[in-house]
Amino acid sequence: MNPPPATVLDQLELDALTELVNLGIGQSALSLAEMVRDEVTLSVPKVALVSRDEAIRTLGEREAKNLVAVHQVFAGDITGRALLIFPEARSLELVRAVIGGSLSIEEIIELEQEALAETGNIILNGCLATIANQLQRNLKISLPEILHGEGKEFFNLAPPPDPGDVVMFIYIDFAVRRSDIQGYIAMLLDMPSIAALKNLLGEYIQRVAGDSPA
Amino acid sequence: MVDKTTKSQHSVLDAVDAGLIVLDRERRIVQWNAWMASASGYALADARGKRLAELFPGAVSGRLNAAIASALDSGVSSLLTHALHPLLFSLKTRSGRRLLHDVTVSAIGSCPETGCLVHISDVTMAVRRERYLRERQNARYDAIVASAPDVILTLDGEGVIRFANRAAVVQFGYSEQELIDKHAVVLFEPGSDWDDAWRRALADERLRQPVELVAHRKDGSATYFSLSASRWQDDSHVFVTAILRDINERRAADAALRAREEEARAAAAALAHLNLTLEERVEERSAQLLKVEEALRQSHKMEAIGQLTGGIAHDFNNLLQGITGALNMVQKRVGEGRIGEVDRFVKGALSSAERASALTHRLLAFSRLQPVDPRPVNMNQLIGAMEELVRRSIGESIRLQMDAGEDLWLVRCDPNQMENALLNLAINARDAMPDGGTLRIASSNESFDASQASIRDLEAGQYVRVTISDSGTGMPPEVQARAFDPFYTTKPIGKGTGLGLSMIYGFVRQSQGSIRIDSQVGKGTTIEICLPRFHGSLEPAVRNEGAVGAGHAGSNEVVLVVEDEDIVRLLVAEVLKDLGYRALEASDGGAGLRIVQSPQRIDLLITDIGLPGVNGRQLAHAARATRSNLKVLFMTGYAESAATGELLDEGMHIISKPFSMDNLAAKIREVIESSFNLDER
Repeated sequence: MNPPPATVLDQLELDALTELVNLGIGQSALSLAEMVRDEVTLSVPKVALVSRDEAIRTLGEREAKNLVAVHQVFAGDITGRALLIFPEARSLELVRAVIGGSLSIEEIIELEQEALAETGNIILNGCLATIANQLQRNLKISLPEILHGEGKEFFNLAPPPDPGDVVMFIYIDFAVRRSDIQGYIAMLLDMPSIAALKNLLGEYIQRVAGDSPA
Repeated sequence: MVDKTTKSQHSVLDAVDAGLIVLDRERRIVQWNAWMASASGYALADARGKRLAELFPGAVSGRLNAAIASALDSGVSSLLTHALHPLLFSLKTRSGRRLLHDVTVSAIGSCPETGCLVHISDVTMAVRRERYLRERQNARYDAIVASAPDVILTLDGEGVIRFANRAAVVQFGYSEQELIDKHAVVLFEPGSDWDDAWRRALADERLRQPVELVAHRKDGSATYFSLSASRWQDDSHVFVTAILRDINERRAADAALRAREEEARAAAAALAHLNLTLEERVEERSAQLLKVEEALRQSHKMEAIGQLTGGIAHDFNNLLQGITGALNMVQKRVGEGRIGEVDRFVKGALSSAERASALTHRLLAFSRLQPVDPRPVNMNQLIGAMEELVRRSIGESIRLQMDAGEDLWLVRCDPNQMENALLNLAINARDAMPDGGTLRIASSNESFDASQASIRDLEAGQYVRVTISDSGTGMPPEVQARAFDPFYTTKPIGKGTGLGLSMIYGFVRQSQGSIRIDSQVGKGTTIEICLPRFHGSLEPAVRNEGAVGAGHAGSNEVVLVVEDEDIVRLLVAEVLKDLGYRALEASDGGAGLRIVQSPQRIDLLITDIGLPGVNGRQLAHAARATRSNLKVLFMTGYAESAATGELLDEGMHIISKPFSMDNLAAKIREVIESSFNLDER
């Protein structure tokens, strides 16, 4: 019997993780802002550790059926999948916000898939690389892939997931050029990875606490 | 050896149909394949050792630099697409056209990363193909819309025309430029259904059927359309596509059809009028006929009343004679102080009065004003209880045969009247068998279909049938035909009033039942009574009033008596005191009302129905308003409401005048002891 996901990390570890996620997202926002040459705000209202089933349920309850996800896998001390998820209906809006200018709807539709993949790539890379750097670990991070479908498809990608998998569920608000889009980053981790993450967070906390005279 | 490996690696890299650039940790070019040389125009020798920015000045973005940095520092792979980086590098296809490409940046080696691979893939073909397909699709779509015979307009969320097809130009007479940016509402007649249809289309409500609209062309002429509209949305904009179909021809056809229908209707109306007047004339004649018939019936009735007054007045005189004579004697004896001899005369007076009472009851029953007290009745029980009485009435020479049907349904009728009817019919049967014979009383359940019911003047349904058959003389048809007429009798004067069968007839019809005679001269007579099945249960206390005379006294229950006739009120109060109840008296409805509205304890209200001012019924209702469980006993000389079928509320009872003091006492006790509580239901 696996412990409930929410209790895998203690409060201090979860706080440290939230801090790292915020740093990472901040880095993503900088990268995006540089590219679109406009202000980009990425904020994280909430980070939660949930089970796969719960992640699927949350998406099902909060969002429309049709979702789009940018999917990347990462490997190293921690191995897993990262998904940037938002409603499909908002994807054109996101692309238009990122591209800017006065492109016609036809032109935007033409660019949608690529632009989406790249935008997701920037956000996920910023997040993952920053976390890896802060934990002083190295991650190999793959190229992005676009998925369309429902939450339960995203969390059941082959090879078959393990029932003990934990999802780090990050709610993000994405604001650029007067568009405000809510989405999620979900990091799917297996048990060994979550254990490794716990260790790394412990070391990180020690370092940070050691740095401060308090 | 090393050289050989490197060479073969080079040839592999050169064979790849994509751009490959290997950068060292200093971001200097160490490898550059043939594809790159072709697309950029720089040979490997020119590129080696240089940084990308030196080869592509102004075409290397910060994003690419960041991607390279994170690959070298963190092993992160990045994607840079042509969508977001159209100007990255400046590469050409082999035919010299601008090359569309996606760039991926990934790390080589791990911990530490020794270098970085920039991979450039040509997507020119794919993008062009997609663009071509889309254009072809658009062309197909444009062809459909442009050639459509219906007007097709695309409106934005404000209702402004953003697109209009060729049919729109033709139908409205405006040029395409004039239509675009025009507010659609100006095309339609003010007050037409456009506003409603637009609102519904915008709210994405389905238009169940096309809406008919009047529109105006540029030249001001009116034209008719049927509208269908649907809403759609791109990323953030709402649009409504409206399709307008020209229905001018259909309307003209409809109008013609309507005109023809109107003509036909007028013709039909004329015919109807003719029929109507014909009917009126027929009705008029029928009314005259009815009037004559009514007059005839009235004369029959008068004749009947004549017979009645003759017969009844004589009987009444005799009875009154008995009463007044006896009372005179009582007065005389009391005056003489001979109290002991009074009893005899009082009994005589009472007996005469009782007979007079019975006579008026029968008259009331005949006039259908007899109060009926219908309750659920088990006919077999009732017949069984009558057996002894019937046997005694018919005498020794007649055999009584009882055939009680099994599992007999309940009926709802006045049991006293039913008993009366049975006795009357038994006596008639006896009189039809002067030389003896058999009297058979039978009961059964019957389900009548429509035809069986209609010969009895009943509704189809379930009935309990009681037959009284004799083996007597029988009736000739002309006697049968008049048997139910009032005062018709075949008996010698003094042997019967002729009211028996008509009374029974009245009672049975009042109980929604039927009565029929089946008789043949010399073969006997069968009277059949059918009463509708009652779906309910037997009330627990069907009390035999005669048996209630003596017994336990009341325990100080308070009874309010409201009666304007002083003597009656006095008598009722006396009876109450004798029974052990406390009596309050009021001489009219107003006085009664004041008492019932006071906090005074009252267990029973006895009131005359016909009171000056507030009548008994109003008084009872007023009392029930505050005393919902108050028991009520009405006294009445008419029982008009009961006879017209108006039902008494629960806990309300009725006794009709005249009544004997014993009967009154029994009734009062029955009412007081009856359990009834509205709140408990």
